[in-house]
Amino acid sequence: MSASFQFRPLTIPKSLEPFRQEVRDFLNQAKKDWSGWKIGHSWTGFDKEFSREVGQRGWIGMTWPKQYGGRERSSLERYVMVEEMLAVGAPLGAHWFGDRQSGPLLLRLGTETQRQRFLPEITRGEASFCIGLSEPDSGSDLASIRSKAERVDGGWRLNGRKIWTTNGHLCDFMIGLFRIGSMGKIKHEGLSQFIIDMKSSGIEVRPIADLTGEAHFNEVLFDNVFVPEDMLVGTEGNGWSQATSELTFERSQPDRFMSCFPLLPLAIDAIEGEPDRLAARSAGQSIADLVVLREMSLSILGQLDEGKTPSQEAALVKDLGNTYEQRTSTMVRELLDSSAIIEQGNALSELEAYLMQSVPSFSLRGGTREILRGIIAKSLGLK
Amino acid sequence: MEQDNIGELLAEQLDRLFTDTVNRELIVSVEEGEPATNLWSELENLGVLSALASEEHDGVALNWSDIEPVVRAAGRHGVPVPFVETLIANWLLSQAGIAPPSGAIAIATEIFALNADDKISGEGLAGWLEQAEHIVLVAQRDDDHFVCLVEPANSNSEKLDTIAREPMAKISLSNATAKSVAAAPSSLDALGILPHLAVLRTVQSAGALEQLLELCIEYGNTREQFGRPIGKFQAIQHAIAELAAETAATQVAGLFACNQIDQSQASYGAMIAKTRVGKAATRGSEIAHQVFGAIGFTDEHSLHYFTRRLWQWRSEAGSDLWWAEQLGHRAIKQGGDALWANITTN
Repeated sequence: MSASFQFRPLTIPKSLEPFRQEVRDFLNQAKKDWSGWKIGHSWTGFDKEFSREVGQRGWIGMTWPKQYGGRERSSLERYVMVEEMLAVGAPLGAHWFGDRQSGPLLLRLGTETQRQRFLPEITRGEASFCIGLSEPDSGSDLASIRSKAERVDGGWRLNGRKIWTTNGHLCDFMIGLFRIGSMGKIKHEGLSQFIIDMKSSGIEVRPIADLTGEAHFNEVLFDNVFVPEDMLVGTEGNGWSQATSELTFERSQPDRFMSCFPLLPLAIDAIEGEPDRLAARSAGQSIADLVVLREMSLSILGQLDEGKTPSQEAALVKDLGNTYEQRTSTMVRELLDSSAIIEQGNALSELEAYLMQSVPSFSLRGGTREILRGIIAKSLGLK
Repeated sequence: MEQDNIGELLAEQLDRLFTDTVNRELIVSVEEGEPATNLWSELENLGVLSALASEEHDGVALNWSDIEPVVRAAGRHGVPVPFVETLIANWLLSQAGIAPPSGAIAIATEIFALNADDKISGEGLAGWLEQAEHIVLVAQRDDDHFVCLVEPANSNSEKLDTIAREPMAKISLSNATAKSVAAAPSSLDALGILPHLAVLRTVQSAGALEQLLELCIEYGNTREQFGRPIGKFQAIQHAIAELAAETAATQVAGLFACNQIDQSQASYGAMIAKTRVGKAATRGSEIAHQVFGAIGFTDEHSLHYFTRRLWQWRSEAGSDLWWAEQLGHRAIKQGGDALWANITTN
């Protein structure tokens, strides 16, 4: 008997240190005028100008083939770049979903035309992608979606509603999951993914204010929206397995445990005088958790590079990672017993205030904790 | 890759041996004071006790990362012999140029004092002392550290009770004579071999958590209430999923720390690993006992042979809380700007 999961270590070689320094130098300049509130948004923060700059440096789609605008750099180099960005809470939102999810999807399953059309634009930080999965009546039960794609001359006609579409009001394209035909006995059959131009006629985007007072996610309505034939992604009817395997890539990356990281250095510096035992202990526990999550995430990267699909391991990382991120916000409050007043212009105060309010979403986005634990339980062999 | 295979092959071999020989009856008899002599002989014959010692000392010269799956297998079975202690002792002796003696060795992780005549004084804890033929410890003279091999007859000892119910003693040395003394290897820091034991306790705990997980999955699929296996209930599924996550994190923490020892960063590895395993041992044991209900709380059931060891190990070799404090103090002292840089350079 032995564990059903494997986490062989993957170490980042010293040879990547100059590259890490290059990213750090860039960020040290870029972050100068970022407020604590902005930093709190981290990879969901939408800043097209920043994304263009990142693209100019060749750091979007950097592992992709050169023919599609990529730089053919290693996945470890990308990891280094990403974790440096997250460590300072850089606003990655305008390119993150394309870089993390939609681009890799098109590389794996897209047609040559789709790749040439979209990938170079993504790498320049010009094409922003959003993900259309949830619907008003289909949240965790994603396979029950009802938004429909019907065949018409030269393509498809979409009708229905998507919801909780992060940055949908700012994005250029959506990868949306739609049902072809009516729902049969097996709910996830007949689903297909489409690339949708958000400027298409018949699309209405309604921002939804969230509890932070801002509007990041949206409801997207489709009223007879035409999508050309060649904008179907992968195989017709295979959308469920395509979309869920996408999530495997997504779940183990450092954005799933580093969203609160920028709080830690500020909190450590805010401890006045000689730290007491409990303060030191809390800080130590937080660092140990982070280091272990990073090792887990790197190990999964190594497994993906070897062509494996460590979906159980990835689900474990997301579950642990989201819990850790949420705990970070609480831990900092316990450490500092911060004021009830948000002090404008004080990076720590703004960051703490923003994260305190946004962390509830961390164990919802990308699959709720309950859904993840269900996936884990199933893969453990609980019948 | 080659090296990975050595450790994993050895672990598979030992896993079979432990499956055949280590059962509740054996663990009970050890807890009642009867040494597991047959199992010990098997381990000696396999040569695995000197796996970390150099080839010139009849060892295998494996590194710590290689031995990780082997130690995890021992933890998975609750192997009731001073396996980990002897592994560390033989490694340390070999590193210091002292030929490891045969037989079981107890280690004391406290730093003792060594005088100009090479006499040792101090106090410490030594697990498995009553079964050991030697004690290995680190002693300090001025700023220098030394590895000492001591015969148990040269120390006073007092038996102590532990939650694991494995042999434990307090030893006191007063100008005791050593059998051998040699300069400590440069890779040891001021904490001596405390971090090494802390790391292997983490690896053992990763194995014990694997055992809890396996037991819980099996029970979840077979125990029926309300007309169906309890593993069909979401509440149970989610609890076991959380146990799996803690188990995985501990496995990774142990691997990371072994790798840190291989790079002469034992204390940093121990800070990370022992801190992390504290949470996993605590939460993992809670979950397993909740899943098993009253039957898991009985003496008759095997569960507590693993949960008691997890509770023991989290407190031994510097508790998880103590290591967390060390890590936290270090980070706070170095300041916020250094935090991320330090995480990425280790």
